[in-house]
Amino acid sequence: MSFWSRITNAFAADSLSREIDEEMRAHIADALEDGRDPAEARRAFGPALLRREESRDFRLAGWLDSLLRDFRRGIVSLRREPGFAIAVVGVLALGIGANTAMFSVLNAVLLKPLPFPAPERLATLDESENATTRYGASALNFVDWKRLSTSFEALAAYTPTSAAVMVEGEPERWVGARVSADFFRVFGAKAQLGRTFGIGEDQPGAARVVLLTYAVWQERLGGATDVLGRDLIIDGQPHRIIGVLSPGWFDRDETAFWVPLVFTPAELTRESMWLNVTGRLRDGVSLQQARQEMGRVATELTSVNPPWKKGWTVTVDEFGRNIVGRRLRQSIYVAFGAVVMVLLIACSNVTNLLLSRGATRQKEMAVRAALGASRSRLIGQLLTESLAVCVLGGAVGVAFAWLLLRAVLSAKSVALPPTAEVGLDLPVLAFTGAIVVLVSLLIGIVPSLRISRGGLNVSLSQGTRGSSGSHAMLRRAIVAGEVAVSMVLLCGALLMLRSLVRLQSVDAGVRVENLITARTELPVAAYPTAESAVRFSQAVVERLQASAVVEHAAVASDVPLEGVVETEIFLTPHYDHHYNVSLKHVDENYFRTLGIPVVSGRGFGERDRKGAPRVIVVNQALATMLSEVLGGGASVGRIVHISVGDYVRTGAELADVEVVGVIRNERVASLQDPERPVAYAPMAQQPIRWIKLLVRTRGDLSAAMRDVRGAVRQLDPRLPLSAMRTMAEVKERSLTGTTQSTWAIGVFAGVAALLAAFGLYGVLAQTVTQQRREIGIRMALGAPSGGIVAGVVRSAAAMVAVGLGVGFGAAVAVTRLMRSLLFQVSPLDPVVFAAAAVSMMLVGLLAVFLPARRAARVDPVATLRDEG
Amino acid sequence: MAKSDSLQGSLDLLVLKILLRRPALHGYAIMSAIKEWSEDVLRAEEGTLYPALHRMEESGWIRAKWVTKESGRRARVYELTEAGKEQLAAEETRWHAVTSAVNRVLRMV
Repeated sequence: MSFWSRITNAFAADSLSREIDEEMRAHIADALEDGRDPAEARRAFGPALLRREESRDFRLAGWLDSLLRDFRRGIVSLRREPGFAIAVVGVLALGIGANTAMFSVLNAVLLKPLPFPAPERLATLDESENATTRYGASALNFVDWKRLSTSFEALAAYTPTSAAVMVEGEPERWVGARVSADFFRVFGAKAQLGRTFGIGEDQPGAARVVLLTYAVWQERLGGATDVLGRDLIIDGQPHRIIGVLSPGWFDRDETAFWVPLVFTPAELTRESMWLNVTGRLRDGVSLQQARQEMGRVATELTSVNPPWKKGWTVTVDEFGRNIVGRRLRQSIYVAFGAVVMVLLIACSNVTNLLLSRGATRQKEMAVRAALGASRSRLIGQLLTESLAVCVLGGAVGVAFAWLLLRAVLSAKSVALPPTAEVGLDLPVLAFTGAIVVLVSLLIGIVPSLRISRGGLNVSLSQGTRGSSGSHAMLRRAIVAGEVAVSMVLLCGALLMLRSLVRLQSVDAGVRVENLITARTELPVAAYPTAESAVRFSQAVVERLQASAVVEHAAVASDVPLEGVVETEIFLTPHYDHHYNVSLKHVDENYFRTLGIPVVSGRGFGERDRKGAPRVIVVNQALATMLSEVLGGGASVGRIVHISVGDYVRTGAELADVEVVGVIRNERVASLQDPERPVAYAPMAQQPIRWIKLLVRTRGDLSAAMRDVRGAVRQLDPRLPLSAMRTMAEVKERSLTGTTQSTWAIGVFAGVAALLAAFGLYGVLAQTVTQQRREIGIRMALGAPSGGIVAGVVRSAAAMVAVGLGVGFGAAVAVTRLMRSLLFQVSPLDPVVFAAAAVSMMLVGLLAVFLPARRAARVDPVATLRDEG
Repeated sequence: MAKSDSLQGSLDLLVLKILLRRPALHGYAIMSAIKEWSEDVLRAEEGTLYPALHRMEESGWIRAKWVTKESGRRARVYELTEAGKEQLAAEETRWHAVTSAVNRVLRMV
C-alpha cells in the first residue's frame, strides 16, 4: 500500500470501519444460511473485533484516529449534559486560568532572563563596608574604577533626576536620568531613531543633548520623526534631542528622558555615594575574576579615600539580584502556592463529578467490555474523554487568565519590577498545556480505573438501585481533602488579613487626617542659588498660611511613608562610629504641621538661618544609637559630623553640626519597616530643589487643594505641581503591595471554600437521591423527619471534621513559610486558626442545607410507588 | 477444540491459491473453501481470516470490491492481483521447500 493511501486511510478510517462492520454482518448472515449456530458465529467475532482494532493500529496515525474518536465522543457526551459540562469546564477553567495568570507573573518576574543581550555579563558595583551593605559609588571612585579596571567592556553610572520640561508652552515635571555615555553600551540598548550617547558627551563643555524613551516620544511628542535636532527645554536649558530609544524595558518605569552625566566640580568627591554603577563584563571574564580585580582596585584607592572608609571594599554583584525584592518574591511564591491549591480543589471537584456519573458510565463500559474491548482500551477512552474536558477547560481558562491579567495589570499600582514582561507568551502557554495534560490524568485516572473495573455482573446487579458503596467512600474522602486544602488557604488568607489590619493600625507618627501633600521641583535655571530656593519655600508657606482653610503649612524634602531621597553618613562626636542615616530637609513649620512632638531640646526656628551655627534635629531612633556611644549621655547639645551637600548637588563636605533637638519617630519609609535613624536639617541652612508641600487643613480638603495650586501658580506659573494627595492616600499607597497580596490570597481562599462547599453539596445531594427509597421506607415505618435530617447532617459533619483535622495539621506546616510576609502576627495565630475552622463549618452548613431539606421532604408514598 | 486454527503460517498460501482458482470470493466463501478443500481438516476462524485478508489487501496481493449478490445483499469479494500471483508462486516454492525438508527429516528418523 502506498504511503499516500496510508495517509488517506488514516483520515478515511471511519468509512473503512463501516465497511468492515458491513462485511462482518454479511459473513454472519452467510453462516446462518449454512445452518451454523448464530451465537457461535458471533462469538467467533469477539476476538475478530479486537483484531480489527489491532489491524487499525498498523495504519499510520491509527492511534491518533482512536484518540480523535474518543475525544469527539467526550465532547459529544458533554453536549448531551450541558449542566454537567458547564460545571466541569467552568471549575477547570477557574483553576487552570488562575494558574496560567499566576505563572505568567512568576515567569516574567522570576524566571525569564532579563531583556538585555547576554544579561549574565551585567554586574552591579558598589562601595561596601562589609559583605551585606551596598552603598552605591561616589563620583571620584567611579572615575577611578573606570580607569583602573580591565574586567569590564563598559562601566557606566546612573542617577535619577527630575526636571521641569516645557511641553507645548506648559511646564511638566518629568522624571529622567543622568547617565554616563557608556550606559546604553552596558545594556546593549539601541536607538530606534537617531543615536545614543557618544564618547565624550559626558565630559564638561560638551553640547547639551537628550535622549527620549519610546513611550514618551509616542505619547507626549506624537511620535513625530522630525523631533531629532529639535530642542527640548529642560529646567530652562535647551537640550538637543539626538535620539529615541527602542521600545522595551526602558519604557516601563517612569523615566522619560536621559541626559549625559557631566560631573560638576562639587560632585567630584569620594564622600557621598550617589551613583548606581553597572558594568558589562568582558567576554570570558567571570564575576569572580571581576571581584578579585575590584578588590585590588579598592585597596589601591584606600589612601585617597576618606579615613572613615578604611577597610571598605568594592562589591561586584550579578545584575538583577536586587531587582526583585525578597517580599515580592515571597508574595509571588505564596500566591502561586494558593492557586495550585485552588487547582487541586477544582480537580477534586471534577473527579467527584465524574465519579458521580460512574454508575451510568459503568453500564456502558460493561457493554463495551462484553463486546471485546480490553480494559486498557477502556481506560484509554475514559482518559481521552477527561482530556477533552480539560482541553475545553484550558481554552476557557486561557481566556480567563487573559482577562484577569488585563484587569490586574492595568491597575498601575501593581508593584512589579519594570523588567517584568507579563503576558501569555509561549512558555506560559506551554505551562498551561502541561497543566491540562496533568489535570486530565489527575481527574481521569481514578474514575477511569474505577469505572472500567468490574465486569458485567457488577453493573447489572447494581441495576436501578444505583448506589455504589466504594464510590461513595472515595468521594467522601475527596471532599474531606477539599475541606482540608480550603482550610489551609483560609488560614493563609486570614493571617494576611490580620497582618494587614495590624499594619493599618500602626501609628505613622504623624497626624494623618486633613493633611494634603504635593510635590514640585525648582529648575536650576530659575532658582540658581540656595537663597532663591529658600525665598520660594518661605513665600509659598506664607501664602498658604494666609488661607482660611489652612491651619498649618510646611515645606520638606520628603513626605512621610514615601521614603527619604537622601542618605548621608553620620559620625559620632569623636569620629569613632558612623551610621547611614536618612536626611530630611524640613522647614521650621514641619514638626508642628505634621503633629510630631519634640521630645527634648527644640525644633527649628527663625534663628536657624544661613550663616547661623549649623544645627540638626534627630529622631529617637538616632538619639538612642548616639546615646549608646556616648555612654548614656544626652544627644542634645552635642556636636556631630554629617556629610552635607551644596544646593545644586548633594554630598560634598563633612560638616560639624549641633544636635539641638530630639523628636518622636515618624515612619519615613513604610509602616512595616523597623524604625530607622533619621536626621533633620533646617531648610533655611540646607535648601533643596525637590520640594514637598504639606498642608494641614481645617476640614475642607478640596478647597485647600485649590489654594495650594493657586499659591504655587501665583509665585511661579511655570512651576509644575504633581502628586497632590491626601496623607490618607499616601498611607494607603504605602500598603499597596501588602493589600494586593492579601486580596489575591483572600480571593483564592474564598474560591477554594466555595468549591469545597460545591463538592460537599454534590456528594450529600447524591446520597440523599440514592437513599430516597430507604428514607421513604424509614419514614413510612414512622421515623421522624428530624432523625432523617440528623443523618444527613452527621454525614456532612464527618467529612468536614476529617477535613478540618487534616487541614489543621497541613496549615501548621504550611503557614510557617509565610512568616516573612506577616507583620506582628504569628503564623500559628490561634484566632486565625479558630476563625478558619469556624468559616469552614459555616461552609459545611451552607452545603448541607439543601440536601437535608430535600431528605426531610421525601414523600414515602411516592417513593414506594416508584419502586412498585 | 479439535478444529481450531491449524494452519500454522500457511493461511496466506491457501487464501492466495483459492483466489487463483476461484476469483471473486467473499470472506465466508473463502472460509468454507478452506474447510471443504481440505476435507474438513483445516479450518480458519473468522478472527484469523479477516485480519489476514485485510493484511494481504494492504500488502497489495489481493484487492477487494463490493458486489451485490442475487439475494440483494452486498458482499465484499476478493481477487488476486499480479503482485498476489507472484507472492503465491514464492509462497508455494517456499512451502514445497519446507515440506520436503521436513519429510526428509521424518524419513531419516
